Amino acid sequence: MARPEWMEGAPNPISSVLVANRGEIACRIIRACQEMEIEAIAIRSSSDEGALHTEMADKVISLPGESLADTYLNGDAIIDAAKSSGADAIHPGYGFLSERADFAKSVISSGIIWIGPSPEAIDSMGDKVTARRRMEDASVPVIPGREILAGTNEDSTIDSLVDAATSVGFPLLLKASAGGGGKGMRIVREPKRLQQEYLAAQREAESAFGDGTVYIERLLENSRHIEVQVLSDNFGNTVHLFERECSIQRRHQKVVEEAPSPVLNEETRSAMGKAAVSAAREVSYSGAGTVEFLLSSDGSFYFLEMNTRLQVEHPVTECISGVDLVEQQIRVASGLPLPFSQDDLSIRGHAIEVRIYAEDPSQGFLPATGPLVVFVPPEGPGVRLDTGVRQGDEARIDFDPMLAKLIVYGSNRDQAIRRMERALRSFVILGATTNIDFLIDIMRHQSFISGETTTDFIDNHFSEGWVPKQTTSSQVLLAAGAEQLGLDRNRLSSTSEEIGRTSKNDPFLNLSRVFP
Amino acid sequence: MVNLRDSEGRKWNVQIGGNPLSPISIELEGEKIESANITIFSDTHPNRIIIKKDNLEKIAFCAKVGDKWWIHLDGNVSIIEVIEPGISDSGTNESAFTAPMPGKVLEVLIPEGAKVSEGQPLMVLEAMKMEHRILANKQGVVTAIHYSQGDQVDAGSVLLDLESN
Repeated sequence: MARPEWMEGAPNPISSVLVANRGEIACRIIRACQEMEIEAIAIRSSSDEGALHTEMADKVISLPGESLADTYLNGDAIIDAAKSSGADAIHPGYGFLSERADFAKSVISSGIIWIGPSPEAIDSMGDKVTARRRMEDASVPVIPGREILAGTNEDSTIDSLVDAATSVGFPLLLKASAGGGGKGMRIVREPKRLQQEYLAAQREAESAFGDGTVYIERLLENSRHIEVQVLSDNFGNTVHLFERECSIQRRHQKVVEEAPSPVLNEETRSAMGKAAVSAAREVSYSGAGTVEFLLSSDGSFYFLEMNTRLQVEHPVTECISGVDLVEQQIRVASGLPLPFSQDDLSIRGHAIEVRIYAEDPSQGFLPATGPLVVFVPPEGPGVRLDTGVRQGDEARIDFDPMLAKLIVYGSNRDQAIRRMERALRSFVILGATTNIDFLIDIMRHQSFISGETTTDFIDNHFSEGWVPKQTTSSQVLLAAGAEQLGLDRNRLSSTSEEIGRTSKNDPFLNLSRVFP
Repeated sequence: MVNLRDSEGRKWNVQIGGNPLSPISIELEGEKIESANITIFSDTHPNRIIIKKDNLEKIAFCAKVGDKWWIHLDGNVSIIEVIEPGISDSGTNESAFTAPMPGKVLEVLIPEGAKVSEGQPLMVLEAMKMEHRILANKQGVVTAIHYSQGDQVDAGSVLLDLESN
């Protein structure tokens, strides 16, 4: 096969990529490969038979087993799959093995191109304590915090914990050193809960990351979570692609993301961009990465962490910058220089992303399961859907509850908000409870519209929990009418009914109002 | 007559008939409510149904999973259960605590026979690597604990019984 034009002169040409992931991000990467005229190879566990990403790929390698450890987290099996399928490169996506330096190292030593930063960069940013030290060296501001030194016994560890907590002050945040995604993270407001929360955080960190190291940071309330996208090549060029505002979170997981931030002025934007570029340079970064900052209410900002991979919310940056980040990742990995410099980049318009989760916002955002009997996504100008599922699939408990990402792009923030509300209202998912109705309420919320998006937005504005709209007589009549017309006996519904009845994870088994 | 229960637990009795379908009577918790000028049509597309109210037609999506109708109308989803005649209405056992999702019991925080106050943590479940605390919804006595530390539970499993005292 003739090489595509973009690969001319690339020192490490790539003609096939193994995508070591699943769900929407695997689909996203496969699409980029197809557009770049390179072969995309998918992997799957036995429970992902027929999954969307396997259908889209040019080739599929089945990894024996159902558990994550046997499949998507099995570095050796993935490298074997890449070798046997003749893949030139591995793209890890996000999550799974994307930030595992040892995996990156094994990929490189097997002679396969790693689409990501060097193992050394992953290592120094992956351990939050090391990252803090490196950032201090690079004069990037960090949040006041302390490490908890694990003692020889529980008593001395608790002494170290109390000592660190006293010096940082309450309220404080316990964070897993190896952490991410809100796991192993705990807010402590009063000293009497410190020990209990510490043990819970340590346990969560131990089971999620195999490393129970926890450190303490001052909790900056009413702060904003703002992150800067960076892109580096292997010739010393690093640019930033502006910021994303990811303040709206529940349980420390992002729900709504937008770019640009509604509050950043040009001065702060440029200072933050420069700090992000310094952070990337400090670890000789290569490829796409994200530097997260907390912006406190007084306008000062602090380094939180650097994610050494593609982010879930990367599409909003793509919308406003016009840069395809996955394409750039692949180009950089093939040894090509960035085709633009900082001066070529500017912000155009406004983009918002919401994460569609299979979860019940009226039950404390507990994950929900069920068959996706109807899955009709919205369409129209400025609407992008990055989904890993389609109608007929099932929302399952074994992976992340995120089903899809809905992204809208508009000429300004107001238009983007209206567009998102319109898109969400026409997004129909039946069979599994989702957060769509909750997201509509966020889009309509006066504080969101006026750009008052802080990390405690959901806690503040939905402190009593979220209550869905009361069922109307029209909806009840439709149910009665559908029952009377026997609409459940037509082709599509009867299949779904079978799925529903045989499903062990019927979401309605738990709709009992008894549970808090 | 179709007997239904909405997700807030309210009971509806609906009599509907004719061609096109129109409501003959609607009762919410035994109280009659007005529903003038409504007709309901089937649609050529599967999983769709049309409601016409005061001469305004709207397309709704519908799907039945188990005994429940999922209805999407005006950008909102509602889940409405069909109550089969002859089945007792008291579907939920007031004293039973059920697991909200499949997971693992990390910790049981109280012994059987414990007197607990409202809001007191009773158990810790782990699912998707997150911990969830099961809190007492009322003051009472824990009369039975059905799982112990390390057990896997399915969604809907009765974890423990809590009787008011």
